[in-house]
Amino acid sequence: MMATLVDAITFSSFLSMMGFGLTLVRRTTGVWNVAQAGLVSIGAYVTLTLVSFVGGSPYLYLPLAFLIGAGVGAILFLVAINPLRKASSIILLVATIAFNLILISIINIYADYLQNVFGILSKSFLLTRLDFKIFGRPAISTISVSTLLIFTIAFYLFLRYTRTGLALRGCIEQPSLAGVVGVSVRSLYLFSWVLAGGSAGLAGGFLPLFFQCNPNIGFYLIALMFCVSILGGVGEIYGPFLGGWLVGFVQIFGTTLLASTLGPWVILYKGLFPMVILVLTLLFVPQGLSGIDWRAKVRILKRKGG
Amino acid sequence: MWYQFNLFTIDLIALLGIYIIINFSLRLQMGYTGIANFGLVLAFTGGAYVVGWLPVRLGMWIFHIDSGLGSDMIWNNTLIVSQINSCLQGQILTALTIFIITLVAAAFVGVVLGLASGYPAARLRGDYLAISLLALGEILAIIGGNYDPLVGGPLGVQVPDVWAWTGDVRFTVVSIVNLLVALGVWVYMHFLEKSPIGRTLRAVRDNRDAASSLGKDVTRIRLKVMVVGAMLCSIAGALYAFYTTGVVTSAYGMFDWTFLPWVMVVFGGAGSNWGVVVGTLMFITVRKLIIFYKYSFAFLPFDPIWLQYLLMGVVVLLILIFRPSGLVPERVSYALSKSRVVKIANKILSEK
Repeated sequence: MMATLVDAITFSSFLSMMGFGLTLVRRTTGVWNVAQAGLVSIGAYVTLTLVSFVGGSPYLYLPLAFLIGAGVGAILFLVAINPLRKASSIILLVATIAFNLILISIINIYADYLQNVFGILSKSFLLTRLDFKIFGRPAISTISVSTLLIFTIAFYLFLRYTRTGLALRGCIEQPSLAGVVGVSVRSLYLFSWVLAGGSAGLAGGFLPLFFQCNPNIGFYLIALMFCVSILGGVGEIYGPFLGGWLVGFVQIFGTTLLASTLGPWVILYKGLFPMVILVLTLLFVPQGLSGIDWRAKVRILKRKGG
Repeated sequence: MWYQFNLFTIDLIALLGIYIIINFSLRLQMGYTGIANFGLVLAFTGGAYVVGWLPVRLGMWIFHIDSGLGSDMIWNNTLIVSQINSCLQGQILTALTIFIITLVAAAFVGVVLGLASGYPAARLRGDYLAISLLALGEILAIIGGNYDPLVGGPLGVQVPDVWAWTGDVRFTVVSIVNLLVALGVWVYMHFLEKSPIGRTLRAVRDNRDAASSLGKDVTRIRLKVMVVGAMLCSIAGALYAFYTTGVVTSAYGMFDWTFLPWVMVVFGGAGSNWGVVVGTLMFITVRKLIIFYKYSFAFLPFDPIWLQYLLMGVVVLLILIFRPSGLVPERVSYALSKSRVVKIANKILSEK
């Protein structure tokens, strides 16, 4: 039970980090970024490469995974999103898919190269043996949760108390007005893509300590990421954290619970969980959980009661 | 060399037919109606699964094959299929009946899948719809890959060869059949372009509010288009499975059957039938060439197949940035032909 809880917490932290990037760029530039999948895979390969060539703990290389993810996020914005800023959201989505194809091919070529030239098992790898223990549990859970917390608090403080944060909020609410008062909307958009790429890279950097990774690991998780983002709602920036924890817990606990009542065959179908959640969300709360006007609901209930 | 060239061309034509059907499905949904369906693979897989499941059972029933084998259809699959194949050798009519019944069943499954995925999705707008369908696309792959009785799980199943009676020219015949079905879809699309339905669909695409103010039920029309699109994809999936005479769940991935069609259609132009055909032809040829000459690239320290994805991504980005309407852009299509418009105009002028 405890192990399941820890797993759920760890998984939810990853999902929140990945969903954060999706929601942020959707909020700023109106794009659903499919290339988030490739960015996550890149993070995983940064960790693998450095652990193989330099050695040491995978945690040491997380900042680098963040930076490389951020760099690729910036390239994505400059190459694909910015030239198409007048296009419809569908075209932008296709552009991110195209960029994802490029990333996928580069990652696969790189993985082939690592395997063929250096003999590193790069097509399927797991680095849990390099993890250490905190309180008798793999450190990954504690560290991923604390990273998520630090990240969230830092981002909140940034939005709340810095001029750039204020400008970014302005860009999200009213881009044209923000432009009028002298905010460089474009560079803030770039900044949001950098941050999104970085968070995806960071989450990807953690993954080999928890998952069996391969070049398509990001793509394998993309349905879950969309789930997190939609369930949480893109209206509020805290949406992905809500969504991440809900989806993560439902996925892990739901599977365990159903497997113990219906039988272990349920585990095979755990990939269907996010889809069921997605359909239910779209049918009943298409605006996402953070988009629900709870006060209005309470008012209606009170009126009914009175 | 000649033999290899022959194989290359036959495979090219067969795949061309299949991709043209899927791409016209996308043209119908995206080009006409503005539905960004990123879940093409769903119905395609559905159609293929029908071929993995139904013809074997039909064959066993028709040829009274020992029911002892039927106790484990998957374990005995190869044995059953080889018995059916030997029975099918001289039976052209039976083989064609099985083929047609299976196609109809696949079309029906396509309709059901289109309804199931379209109902929650059709009311969504633009990109929400796109990513929901993207996420839903792999449902059947997960089920098929794990639930063995359906199509043999990860190992897959063989399919009775309904074209066995054609003998040596089997692959030629199948590729021509695929191409003929594709041509049929093309003709349908051609007439759709000038029909009232085509104009309604474009109205739904260009301005939902205007269309609904004229009494068109936009959500319903979108759902219908998704159902027809899914049906086409499902038929394509069935044809593909009949062509390869096997269904392996891992062969029905999102890359080959959702992204590749999108790349082709965006490249050729979603707004024009010719664009779809040109885009499909070019990409299929390049893809086949890369696979064909794969071993000439053996000196590379990686699998050259990845170059194909790289190329696809770069080409799509370039097209989107520099020629967003695709290679062949959409033309204005008039309700009446130009000569008739001129005639009417002259008549009005002369009456004045």
